[in-house]
Amino acid sequence: MMHRFARTTMIVAGVLLAGSTLAGQAPAGRGLARTPWGDPDLQGLWTNATITPFERPASLSGKEVLTEREAAEYEKEALETRNADNRGGGTDADLGRAYNQFWYDRGTKVVGTRRTSLVVDPPDGRVPPLTPDAQQRAAARAEARRRSPADGPEDRSLAERCILWPTAGPPMIPGGYNNNYQILQAPGYVVILTEMIHDARIIPLDGRPHAPSGIRQWMGDSRGRWDGHTLVVTTTNFTDKTNIRGSGPNMRLVERFTRVDADTIDYQFTVDDPASFTRSGTAAIPMTKTEGPIFEYACHEGNYGMTNLLRGARAQEK
Amino acid sequence: MRTLISVLAALSVVGATVPVRAHHAFAAEFDAKKPIKLEGTVTRVEWINPHAWIHIDVKRSDGTIEKWMIEGGTPNTLFRRGVNKNSLPVGTVIIVDGYQAKDGTLKGNGRDITFPDGRKLFIGSTGTGAPGDPQAPPK
Repeated sequence: MMHRFARTTMIVAGVLLAGSTLAGQAPAGRGLARTPWGDPDLQGLWTNATITPFERPASLSGKEVLTEREAAEYEKEALETRNADNRGGGTDADLGRAYNQFWYDRGTKVVGTRRTSLVVDPPDGRVPPLTPDAQQRAAARAEARRRSPADGPEDRSLAERCILWPTAGPPMIPGGYNNNYQILQAPGYVVILTEMIHDARIIPLDGRPHAPSGIRQWMGDSRGRWDGHTLVVTTTNFTDKTNIRGSGPNMRLVERFTRVDADTIDYQFTVDDPASFTRSGTAAIPMTKTEGPIFEYACHEGNYGMTNLLRGARAQEK
Repeated sequence: MRTLISVLAALSVVGATVPVRAHHAFAAEFDAKKPIKLEGTVTRVEWINPHAWIHIDVKRSDGTIEKWMIEGGTPNTLFRRGVNKNSLPVGTVIIVDGYQAKDGTLKGNGRDITFPDGRKLFIGSTGTGAPGDPQAPPK
């Protein structure tokens, strides 16, 4: 709770500060909307929901882009096979699907490029292999989960604890529902409001250095700058519990937001984490305009599930 | 070079292997060995995050009433589609098909929720791609 309280306080402080800071130099434009102070305008409500998988499936190895016909077939197939109303695969699989399809909202379309993965580099569309050190960390986490799966809330994931959703970002990756973001701008600041778990990431654009390396935050520490009409955000200072597919606390994340038309932001991110991955990697995930409003996700207040699963673990110990 | 058919065959495998992800590991909260099927009357709905809870009264064969709590998903998704607090009024009879809580209390997940005539709850919702969704691609 202290983390959440501290973060909320920072959000308020950040928004107050935002009005009094000078804007950076306005970049050259392409005729797209600009803020009154001259920055490219990224503001609005956006969704990154798509059925394109993050990694290219092994079965599509070597197939980088779908034809229009293949994409249409893919969409049809995916909607049927991922439909949570299907109840095959035994009771464990059935329980894993949790509830009917009407609670999910993961989109119905592949990305406009018709690529077979959101990962665009490495060229095989797969997340680069983990280093031996990262494999060791993953094994230690698995062992801890086996040894004490639910002794207390700290044994459970950050998502179940309502602290951080693993795909809500940074970096921002599509998930099962609530794939919605609101971008707000003020002179010298960009704020990204995330619907899932309800976070506001405040990104200063004034060139200030990152926080000292001893300061670690669930969502890292973001700094932005304009490169032409592209917003470039670099994030460092993650915690050792912030784990994006095996990443570690010293991950350096660079996100690039480019408004390509009224309804689309070309969003790309590059992960550089030599302690965790054998090489860097990049994903491209378009964000499209969506209708409001964005809803609050007061996760902790209604988190009966945490109590229930801890009680379940106690009952099974008897 | 791949033929269209082989690509489509590969796509079928792809879709089947992509996991669905809920807020919790439901397997930690509910027991796959305790399937439940309940017919009950809605007494209250908690439209709360991270998951909605539907309270129902279930009449047993001996006439006694059991008070069950049924877990659904995030209400945000439903609100966005126009479902609101009037969409599942108190007194509605629903059938819940799911699994009971591991701690043995009268809680379950609403794996499938239907009306007694077989219609699915919120079947008119759009944008899910689910069968019956007006926006779903034609079969």
